[in-house]
Amino acid sequence: MQSKFSNSTARITRLGRRGCDLMEALGRAGVFLFQSAVGVPSREGWRLWLHQMHFVGVLSLAIVLVSGLFIGMVLALQGYTILVDFGAEQALGQMVALSLLRELAPVVAALLFAGRAGSALTAEIGLMKATEQLTSMEMIGVDPLRRVVAPRLWAGFVSLPILTVGFSVVGIWGGYLVGVEWLGVFEGSYWSNMQASVTFVDDIGNGMIKSAVFALVVTWIAVFQGYDLVPTSEGISRATTRTVVYSSLAVLGLDFVLTAIMFGGL
Amino acid sequence: MTDAPFIEIEELYFSRGDHEIFRGVNMTIPRGKVTAIMGPSGTGKTTLLKLIGGQLTPESGRILIDGQDVHKLSRKALFTLRKRMGMLFQSGALFSDLDVFENVAFPLRVHTDLPNTMVRDLVLLKLQSVGLRGARHLTPAELSGGMARRVALARAVALDPELILYDEPFVGQDPISMGVLVQLIKRLNQALQLTSVVVSHDIKETLSIADYLYLIADGQVVAHGTPQTLDTNQDPRVSQFIHGEPDGPVPFHYPAEAFYRDILGDSPKAQIG
Repeated sequence: MQSKFSNSTARITRLGRRGCDLMEALGRAGVFLFQSAVGVPSREGWRLWLHQMHFVGVLSLAIVLVSGLFIGMVLALQGYTILVDFGAEQALGQMVALSLLRELAPVVAALLFAGRAGSALTAEIGLMKATEQLTSMEMIGVDPLRRVVAPRLWAGFVSLPILTVGFSVVGIWGGYLVGVEWLGVFEGSYWSNMQASVTFVDDIGNGMIKSAVFALVVTWIAVFQGYDLVPTSEGISRATTRTVVYSSLAVLGLDFVLTAIMFGGL
Repeated sequence: MTDAPFIEIEELYFSRGDHEIFRGVNMTIPRGKVTAIMGPSGTGKTTLLKLIGGQLTPESGRILIDGQDVHKLSRKALFTLRKRMGMLFQSGALFSDLDVFENVAFPLRVHTDLPNTMVRDLVLLKLQSVGLRGARHLTPAELSGGMARRVALARAVALDPELILYDEPFVGQDPISMGVLVQLIKRLNQALQLTSVVVSHDIKETLSIADYLYLIADGQVVAHGTPQTLDTNQDPRVSQFIHGEPDGPVPFHYPAEAFYRDILGDSPKAQIG
């Protein structure tokens, strides 16, 4: 009886400790975000930001655009086989565009971004921490949050929405290739239905808001995991995995919440 | 220059988890001198440097650098104070995305508006003083451990700081580089009137350049004084360390249960033993 009681107490204590650790980590992450993101960048800061735009944005272009093309093509193929049964294949352009702009482009681009750029950011900052480069920067009187973290954070925040636009454009073109060029859907109906049904604010605007939210969350998770990791090879490996897992779950969870707010009438 | 000490450490307590590293450490680091902090491995010498640099926060006690309480400064003020310090890391901690030249130029570029030609001249002067002017185009990955430490030293003195913290500067150096480094630390100290804090357990080299020594063990300062006074100190802990004796009050082994019990477990033989 005594041992059962002490086991339960130990379990509750462990649970409480985990809760406290989680709250503490969230608090640290919040302070970290504030200290890194708030402030006016210097001329050097702009240069570092441009460099990171290349690293996280331009170098992610290939994977995002190729994925966008294939997803657009698959959407058109699947959509056509369903729509043609109802004689509604003229609505193919509308279906491809709305699926991409509202859901698939922001979500899939964010997931790809987390895998390609997020993990790289975590590993890079983590290795800088493990080899004491961040500490030596601090001792030189340079704040690593401003010099290392801020340019990466802002580059991620700006580049993902641009990548999402690229994903949508290439996806719609992929849908056109399959639907119009291959399956023979009338080209005029593909474009005109799309033009008639897609609205700038509701569809493109909401999609971009989603993408901006995902960009902030994914990049925040990536840089914080890199900065906060245990500076060992195992620590870097775990943090990189955590970045991809947490980012993916956060993107999918937030997508539901944002969709419910934007399109679900909440 | 005033006679006030440059660094004052008062009643410093610091722990990592349950392990107490410092238990009421008091130190006074004189201005313009080379002060060595020595002690067996694992006594927290590097931790002490990190506490002085404000990278770690003590549980209690305070560290004053030129009258400023390091751990009560705002983040901005701490970074301003650090511009007056240089630190030589045990690993070198060079920036892996910059070559040797740019590593040494880094503090000059971020903290001064000097023209490129002057930055170049200053960097070459610093690299010449550590014997690596010819290695300016190499990347940190192409350097040996000893060379990386010399480049890190050139970077640490790039801004001619008032205080330099050396973390094990002699580890992994060949005899020639070691001799050069010893001379360099001494010369830098005399020429620029720097305050130097050297953490090391290389007794011979450290005694040859230090003006004052602190010996720490078991979380406390066990002795302090000039190299001459410590050399003749009769305290068995001091004598064991200074003369490198294997037997004495400072244990070689990390605390553990009895060896025979570890090997034999709880067998009857072990219990008899």
